[in-house]
Amino acid sequence: MGEVIVITSGKGGVGKTTTTANLGTGIALQGKKVVLIDTDIGLRNLDVVMGLENRIVYDLVDVIEGQCRLKQALIKDKRFEGLYLLPAPQTRDKNAVAPHQMVDLCEELKKEYDYIIIDCPAGIEQGFKNAIAGADRAFVVTTPEVSAVRDADRIIGLLEANEIRNPQLIVNRVRPDMVKRGDMMSIEDIIDILAIGLIGVVPDDENIIISTNRGEPAVNDSKSIAGQAYRNITRRILGEDVPFINLNNSDGFLAKMKKLFGIKPA
Amino acid sequence: MENEKKGIVFKGNNEGLVIVIPDDYDFSKAKAEIEEKVQNAARFFRGAKIKVVYRGITLTPEEEDEIRNVLDEKSGAIIESLSKDDESKLNAFIAKRPKKVPVSSHKLFFSSDDAGPCKFVRSTVRSGTRIEFDGSVVVIGDVNPGGEIVASGNVIVLGALRGMVHAGSEGNRDSFIYALKLKPTQIRIAEAIARMPEGSDENKICPELARIKDGIIEVEQV
Repeated sequence: MGEVIVITSGKGGVGKTTTTANLGTGIALQGKKVVLIDTDIGLRNLDVVMGLENRIVYDLVDVIEGQCRLKQALIKDKRFEGLYLLPAPQTRDKNAVAPHQMVDLCEELKKEYDYIIIDCPAGIEQGFKNAIAGADRAFVVTTPEVSAVRDADRIIGLLEANEIRNPQLIVNRVRPDMVKRGDMMSIEDIIDILAIGLIGVVPDDENIIISTNRGEPAVNDSKSIAGQAYRNITRRILGEDVPFINLNNSDGFLAKMKKLFGIKPA
Repeated sequence: MENEKKGIVFKGNNEGLVIVIPDDYDFSKAKAEIEEKVQNAARFFRGAKIKVVYRGITLTPEEEDEIRNVLDEKSGAIIESLSKDDESKLNAFIAKRPKKVPVSSHKLFFSSDDAGPCKFVRSTVRSGTRIEFDGSVVVIGDVNPGGEIVASGNVIVLGALRGMVHAGSEGNRDSFIYALKLKPTQIRIAEAIARMPEGSDENKICPELARIKDGIIEVEQV
């Protein structure tokens, strides 16, 4: 029986889709069977980030409306064994799906796949309700910005109200140099406000933009520090106890790579 | 206190037994229930010499005699007296009782007695959550930015207050706001509104109390 994880944030542009793509790829690289579902109907992105846009034939709404079989709509990623994508339609809107249909879909997928990772749209409306309906577990993505943290706080409250207990936090796009100067919220500040468990810290990394544009998840790039952070989160999802990357140095990129051994305990 | 269900309650004090009869009971109902209770506890009372007072409804002398007979017969105790508990006795009793907690002479917390009932919130009040209550609110946890608490009485936050709190929302200017870490976006007491000065030390826990003084909200460390 698989596990359904929803990646959500409230605010847009904090990295939900990138996180979904990287964690999904990362888990598949560990030999698990993974399905990524894009629930951002009308504003789909996950297929682009995964580089699978040109292979879409059927989508989420086709499956839910019974226009095709589930298997037909799942796009198999040829680069990574065991990785599948269920894309969102671009020409419909969020009301094309109801939460109970998502629950049924997730139950169906859980029978055959180890992890189902749902990319949630920004906002707290219908799309959000659909995305979290079938989830067993939630990761809240935020960046060290007051507005993103505010929205994350709201999302955590809504997740709890929807019986998704103990959401875990991913802090994305952290710039250690700015934190050190006191120009950016530190991880401690964020956790102090949100009061939930931390599952990952992803440093700001130019490679993410490059890999996202190319449609190749950074998690597969051994030179990317963000990719390393995503690999660590992947292992934590699978139950390993992985120390956090030490970001408290202002050294150059190479020095950072050399100091990837964790200092802070989980 | 000892009984789960509402009904007649027996309490002991250092002079004897107090029977608390709910106000809505009539004599026959009270008598029947006392009889039943005493019978169940007969072993406990046997041979004891007790003074009995009752509270709640008022009984005629004849009814008092009847209750006394019931107690005498069913409990096996020797009933020295039976009378309605009067206020002076009650107060004397309270005065005699040793104080469990030394009450602070600081009058701050007790300045508004009419704060009404109290609601306890045992979780973080997150952004988008609004708690409205006719009475006082105690939050065991934080109030985050975007979270709102509106109470007609006082508001106490046993955690960090970073959101918006309105105490005395019905106009009670004696209401106060207390937090272990007072860093709100805004606080309101009755019709007064205050913002916090910016750029103060974020991580120190120092309990503070806000209340109205001369028409404006004043914050002081406690």
